[in-house]
Amino acid sequence: MLELREIGVAYGVATALRGVSLRIGAGELVCVVGPNGAGKTTLVNAIGGLIRIVAGGIELDGADIGALPAHEICARGIAMVPEGRRLWTNMTVRENLELGGYRSGARAARKEWMERVVAMFPLLGARLDAPAGTLSGGQQQMVAIGRALMAQPRLLLLDEPSLGLAPAIVLDMFNVIRDIHASGVAVLLVEQNVARALEIASRAYILDEGQIVAEGTPAELRNESHIARAYLGL
Amino acid sequence: MPSPAIIGQSLISGTFIGALYALLGLGLSLSWGMLRQINLAHFALAFLGAYLTYQLSGVGGMDPLLTLLLIAPAFFLLGVGMHWVFVRFAVGPLGSLLATFGLTVIIESVIQWIWTADFLKLESPYGSASLRVGIFYLPVAGLITLAAAAALCFGTWAVLRYTDLGRAMRAAAEDGPMAAAFGVNVNALSRLLSGFASACAGVAGVALALSYTLAPSQIYAWIGVIFAVVMIGGLGKPLGPLIAGLVIGVSEAVTMALTAPAWAPVVSFSLLILVLLARARNI
Repeated sequence: MLELREIGVAYGVATALRGVSLRIGAGELVCVVGPNGAGKTTLVNAIGGLIRIVAGGIELDGADIGALPAHEICARGIAMVPEGRRLWTNMTVRENLELGGYRSGARAARKEWMERVVAMFPLLGARLDAPAGTLSGGQQQMVAIGRALMAQPRLLLLDEPSLGLAPAIVLDMFNVIRDIHASGVAVLLVEQNVARALEIASRAYILDEGQIVAEGTPAELRNESHIARAYLGL
Repeated sequence: MPSPAIIGQSLISGTFIGALYALLGLGLSLSWGMLRQINLAHFALAFLGAYLTYQLSGVGGMDPLLTLLLIAPAFFLLGVGMHWVFVRFAVGPLGSLLATFGLTVIIESVIQWIWTADFLKLESPYGSASLRVGIFYLPVAGLITLAAAAALCFGTWAVLRYTDLGRAMRAAAEDGPMAAAFGVNVNALSRLLSGFASACAGVAGVALALSYTLAPSQIYAWIGVIFAVVMIGGLGKPLGPLIAGLVIGVSEAVTMALTAPAWAPVVSFSLLILVLLARARNI
């Protein structure tokens, strides 16, 4: 479904990603782990079109999307839950969710998806008219995920969805991700919480200093002792 | 102490000048708050609109209100073009202030070249007519200005609040890249907003021509008070200029009636300082 071929990203003269190749099959849940500053967020932003790649190519179902602006990438069914949530904090929860379904392909079924999102996160139901910035961190993360679901994506990019959440909520979050994946949406999960991410992923990539240093199924990666020690904290 | 009739009449004239403040402030507030462009040329554009109204109506014989049909779309295109240039050359907020100051000087020169530096006054049926209500006179031009200001401010407010287009604009103003990630064509919406802000300057220009004597140097006379209106009303908030404009217009007029005209600017800037202090305390 999504294929990254040797992509490179640079901020000025600093290289953030170099020769990164990655593949996500339709309906697959793939995770990317790696230390802070490895380029994980850059990778998500590059796929979403928020930063330009300077080398390589990105293909979605065989079509080159590497040079498309972000709003056209969204139109093709890729939605994201960005690092730090990045809700529109001055706008209400309802407005955030409705804007999630702004793209023309998602607008028709917006009402129905709104009900689904509220059913998935009942806590949000009572806060729909509150400014998103007044919610707790966990609730904001629910809005961020809900907003991405409202776009009815075929591929969901999740950048550190568990960051800064209380442990009990983290568990909920991973269950939600598993449910989303089970409904047929392909997921790219970028996580610091390696143990949990590997539990639900079918394949994983390890990113370090802007390069992929290992890839495989969770079992394969765990069995390679130097990788397990260096990156997985096992 | 002036008579109640004089106080009443100054309340009325304050309301009408406040409406013109709102018309002039709306476009400035939107482009400043939502596009991060401080468009100093907004005032020069309004005067260009006023002179065009004078030309089309006073010289050409068109109904001054019908000139809106030409001026608003033309100014819309001008605003779109301006935004294109700003994006093309990656002009930031401070850069936009400098660039539009330059544009102001250019527009002023063009106006002076075409219409000379003499005072001009559009003679129109709206400018001289007024309705008599009891002991008070309501100038028709003022009523038109008030109606236009209220319609534009409330209309913009409703669009930003209740339509997908308006919500997308607000989202783009708060976090543009995130709006883009959810399918909003941020550049296209920004051009639209810039065009609308500029069209507002055109409408304000028509209102100016109905009530005021025009001279190129007058462009600069409005900048101080309109900046106060925009800051008090809150950047990017469409109802802000209407409320702040009416408050300042009325308090200036009452001050003038009670003391002397020279005290009027003191009122607007004292209000500005008070509002900024109160806001700083709330943060």
